Amino acid sequence: MDRKPEGLSYRGVNEDIINFMTKTGPKYYLVLGFFILCSVFLYLLPWIHQIYTGQGVTGLNVPVVWGVYLVNFVFWVGVAHAGTLISAMLYITETPWRRAIARSAETMTLLALIVVAFFVFIHMGRPWNFYWTFPYPNQRKIWTSFQSPIMYDVFAIGTYFTSSLVFLYFGMIPDFASLSQSTTGWRKSFYKAMSLGWRGTDRQWHLQAKASMFFASFIMPLVVSVHSIVSWDFALSIVPGYAQTVFAPYFVTGALLSGFAAVILALTVLRWTFPMMKKYILIHHYDRIGLFILVLALTWSYLTGMEIITGYFANTSDEIQHITYKILTYPYSWLFAFMIFCNTILPLVLISGKVRRSEKLMFFLCIFIIIGMWLERYLIIPNSESRKFLPYMWHSYTPTWVEMSITVGALMVFISLFMIIIKIFPVISIFEIKEDVGVPMKKEGH
Amino acid sequence: MESALGLFDYVDELANAAEKMKSAGYYVEVFSPVPLGHELEPILGKQNNPIKYATFFGGVSGFCFGMVLCLGTIAMYPLARGGRMLWAIPPPLLISYETTILLGVLFTLAGFVLFAGLPATKEHLTPEVSVDSFGLYVQGIRRGGFNEVEKILTEYGAKEVKKVEE
Repeated sequence: MDRKPEGLSYRGVNEDIINFMTKTGPKYYLVLGFFILCSVFLYLLPWIHQIYTGQGVTGLNVPVVWGVYLVNFVFWVGVAHAGTLISAMLYITETPWRRAIARSAETMTLLALIVVAFFVFIHMGRPWNFYWTFPYPNQRKIWTSFQSPIMYDVFAIGTYFTSSLVFLYFGMIPDFASLSQSTTGWRKSFYKAMSLGWRGTDRQWHLQAKASMFFASFIMPLVVSVHSIVSWDFALSIVPGYAQTVFAPYFVTGALLSGFAAVILALTVLRWTFPMMKKYILIHHYDRIGLFILVLALTWSYLTGMEIITGYFANTSDEIQHITYKILTYPYSWLFAFMIFCNTILPLVLISGKVRRSEKLMFFLCIFIIIGMWLERYLIIPNSESRKFLPYMWHSYTPTWVEMSITVGALMVFISLFMIIIKIFPVISIFEIKEDVGVPMKKEGH
Repeated sequence: MESALGLFDYVDELANAAEKMKSAGYYVEVFSPVPLGHELEPILGKQNNPIKYATFFGGVSGFCFGMVLCLGTIAMYPLARGGRMLWAIPPPLLISYETTILLGVLFTLAGFVLFAGLPATKEHLTPEVSVDSFGLYVQGIRRGGFNEVEKILTEYGAKEVKKVEE
């Protein structure tokens, strides 16, 4: 099993990445055009329709005021999790296999966070008032309440987005300098400006390493805090199904599980679409991430059990009703069973090294995990609101075509953005791959 | 004073040349497409890390900013509701936790940019050092001494030596 890219030279790495970014065939543009069109028809137009008509076009109604949009919000925050974690945690532990995949994972993080931000606006009845969430002196005589978990969210996700952007850009500075020397036209000017005049001196590399360690050390606890805080949007309420002390680790684990699954999907698509990528994204990466997924799936399963058992032991009528509704009532019983199949039973096949090293099996397995993790959020968010304390208020929620269309459209937006970004920015870290290749020494065994 | 840039294919040769030039009293700087910390530290000496001060300052000011923002809000816009304590401890801590990281990250970036001499308008001495060559930049050569430096660098394995006027 290959553990390092082999048969590569420094110049070869540069040429590979530049060719990947600059040589784009008509098929690529056709596929990109298709996804952009899908984004317009499935995402943008339904959203405009919703803004024009009002929130009545959604299935939201008392008592269910948090529906699929917030399911998607939590889901995409989860997808955003693995990228920065792969980068930061594996950087701190000096794990060499992170180098080839960290950049694409970080890019996914950033794009997923953009999708996340838009789901907040979509969920808002009046998205043009989004700036009311920012604390700044104003004449409206309103001010944000820092006792609200929603405000924790604004700060957590804002910090996560800013830090991820800084981490991603910072890591690219040496690559921009390298690219500016090997490209022409607008790219040369663009990369030169983005490189800030990086020259690769020993002093600059020394400071780069130190700053990377600081960034990684900041971002590690940030990754944990962001999804903990997202979970407190729910757990700090008194709604049965939401008020769970286990939610912070439960959400963090689930986020990482879906995030790693999403990373596998992105890496596989890159490998299948661009055969050159097989030199860099290796089967060894699948094997390592497969182990992570296995551990996370088992942890997630344990926490799912805890969520139900603690609710059951509480033995209050509202908790029992919530659990019955979520697990034993059609159609949610089927969704719950399918979620357990996707996230607990299927990942057990990862015990086998053969499965972990099969990109096809990993790809399909990760699709199931992604679906399972989306269902988990669906079963928590609108389902809990459907059964609050007073039975006369009970109401089942069904998403409308607008909500489902925007849900699918968000995926199209994400794919379109990813396809554009990987052609402008180096999706594989050039200087880190060169580190993998090794420092050239004349004397053997030096 | 003149300067010279020797281009090397191999890092061990560059390290030997750097050691020689440094012991001869020249100021040397290394350009490379990858970090060479471990290989060069014994020769160029341990470098300091001023970024940590920027990081520390950012973290502390971020924490203070978060605290002031939350506590100031409670003082200036008291909003008692739901029987919750007005001066509760967890909300300011949570917000401060995030702002500590936010300003810590931003100040680390600012520190890096400042201490790494960026943004710089100087052109690359030669494009190869950002692709596949290692450059040894020798500064402080007395007028007319370039040939001697060129000879030493070539002896130590430099594939090309350029005279540089910055």
